[in-house]
Amino acid sequence: MAPPLLSVHNASKRFGDVVALTSINLDIHEGEIVGLVGSNGAGKTTLLRLLSGVYRPTTGEVVLSNGESVDRAREQLGVVPENTGLYARLTAWENIRYHARMHGIDDQVAWLRTSYFANHLGMTEALGRHTKGFSRGMRQKTALLRALVHAPNVLLLDEPTAGLDVTSARTVRELVRQLGDEGGTVIYSTHQLAEAQRVCNRIIIIHNGEVRADGTPESLLEQTGTTHLEEAYVSLTKDVARARDEDSKPLSRWSSWWRGLFTPKTPGGGDDEE
Amino acid sequence: MMKSSVARIQTIAKKELVEFVRDWRTIMAILVIPLLMFPLLFILFPLLLASEAAELDAIEVEVIVQGSGVPEDLGIMLENASLNITYEPLTTMETLAEPGEDESRIRNGSIDAVLRLRMNDTVLEYAVLYLSTSEQSNEARSRLFDTLATWEQNETTRRIDAAGLDAEETLNPLRWNGEVTDSDVATQGEQAGMALSLFIPLVLAVWTFSSAIQPSIDMTAGERERGTLEALLGLPCSRLELLMGKWLAVATITGAGVLLQVAGLLFAIGYLATSDVISAPSVSLTAVLFLVLAILLFAIMVVAFELALAMRSHSVKEAGSILGPAVLIILFPALFTQVINLDGVEIYWFAIPVVNVLLALRELLMNRIVYSHVIVWVVSSTVYALGAAYYAARQFKREDIVTSLS
Repeated sequence: MAPPLLSVHNASKRFGDVVALTSINLDIHEGEIVGLVGSNGAGKTTLLRLLSGVYRPTTGEVVLSNGESVDRAREQLGVVPENTGLYARLTAWENIRYHARMHGIDDQVAWLRTSYFANHLGMTEALGRHTKGFSRGMRQKTALLRALVHAPNVLLLDEPTAGLDVTSARTVRELVRQLGDEGGTVIYSTHQLAEAQRVCNRIIIIHNGEVRADGTPESLLEQTGTTHLEEAYVSLTKDVARARDEDSKPLSRWSSWWRGLFTPKTPGGGDDEE
Repeated sequence: MMKSSVARIQTIAKKELVEFVRDWRTIMAILVIPLLMFPLLFILFPLLLASEAAELDAIEVEVIVQGSGVPEDLGIMLENASLNITYEPLTTMETLAEPGEDESRIRNGSIDAVLRLRMNDTVLEYAVLYLSTSEQSNEARSRLFDTLATWEQNETTRRIDAAGLDAEETLNPLRWNGEVTDSDVATQGEQAGMALSLFIPLVLAVWTFSSAIQPSIDMTAGERERGTLEALLGLPCSRLELLMGKWLAVATITGAGVLLQVAGLLFAIGYLATSDVISAPSVSLTAVLFLVLAILLFAIMVVAFELALAMRSHSVKEAGSILGPAVLIILFPALFTQVINLDGVEIYWFAIPVVNVLLALRELLMNRIVYSHVIVWVVSSTVYALGAAYYAARQFKREDIVTSLS
């Protein structure tokens, strides 16, 4: 078997007192479409940020097939963050070209590659428009084109269909499947189990910062002794999900006290969550 | 495929500048206003002064003259002094300056001033009642004083002549000989440098700081708030390259703003101001080079400091509430520096942050190059600029720059 493209070895991530991820071990192989499934705050985004090198693990390591740490080889990764991260005063093409240039890709090569995928996504006409007026779907497609422009080995997508209409979500899913068919590797975070089942050939269920299951949809059913993936997910995530966002920074003691001064008690007498 | 660090920094800076140029409001605020500020000030301020003076000249003022036995020549002068005069008898009072019942008439605006006159032997005693908070009343008082002063001068001359003395010799036993302006050995250019040294450092310092605020916030806290920072951090560039690219963009914008402002000021001095008001300063090429170096070091420090503070902030609002008041860090030392006497100034002043650059600018505008001072401000400014850059680099390396505040 070929060595994994991307490996996570015993990685954990803490933000102060908050443990966002605990002892994660993963191997991602070429051609896999991996679905990271979990509730809000489960640790999906933190794991994706570890994989993209935006975060460094508190313990453990995230390495590529050549043993190099991901934060030293980001050119091998294409990332679509949850909020797309497009510059509103630039056109879609300028947004894509900016990332291409940062990857050292020639403008002409970038344009050819962008045109190819834009055609698939029905985005060709919109490439010359400023992204300020773009719908959520168009923003997501532009971010996808931007992530693909340098032909990355691994594509990391954080909730790529969240907030999209049915047609746009379907287009994005089709593109991901097409990339998989062409031998591409995609890590796809979502809190929709059904979506992961439709797109991915491997599902990782993550809950409260831990990997609860990892395998094909069939193996998850076998592992949990259930007949539907939804039942499998529920049985694997029975414990109460944590309330706080996985990586949100808590207010300082002073800020918390000050905000409390101007926050009335709720009628039931409960305190503010902070 | 791999791109050099310099190329990545240039790409980041170029992208930031393109985004900046596409926002016309920011262009207006940071580039157009500084360029036009001084020319407009030099055109509009004299016009405003002239218009105000003409308006005051045209004012008709109501004056009451109280007293009997007003000297005939004074009476004639008062009649010719653009005053609407009504004569009244003087009531008995201990001192003429007590307002008494006339206060209400001045306050309600029915009259603008009261001139009280009383002969006491050979001395004409007088008092002018007025309301200092009323421009009209002040103008009436001013016209009365002018008239009284002229009469006093005439009367003094008359009395000296009557005593058989020469009035000119008696009144002016000490007399300047020649043109007053000839006596100053400083050239017109040096005098202009002196005048501008009290003004330009303040403008440069405050404008450098304030014009960097908006782009610094937009490129850091703004990116964080809009969610564009995470995508950027996933790119194959180091955080230091990111900082340098953004620094280069902010410094270019700030530098352009400051240069345009100075150009506007020099244009106004050269073409709009009369030479008796101010002229172009005479500054040597060495002094100009040191001036540029001082501003450059100051800009490195200020922009890095502002980028660091903005990057620490979790939102544009938070960054604005920190960086807005932070302009006082520049303003107070800048005002303080204006009163430091440069003759025999102690060398340690040139090592104090902000003060050092401002004093250096003052000295250089006066074409004074004191190398011991230059060494101290260059070394200290470099240390502060590096310190600010190090602090900014630390902020850019923080992991939580992509996290939200819960």
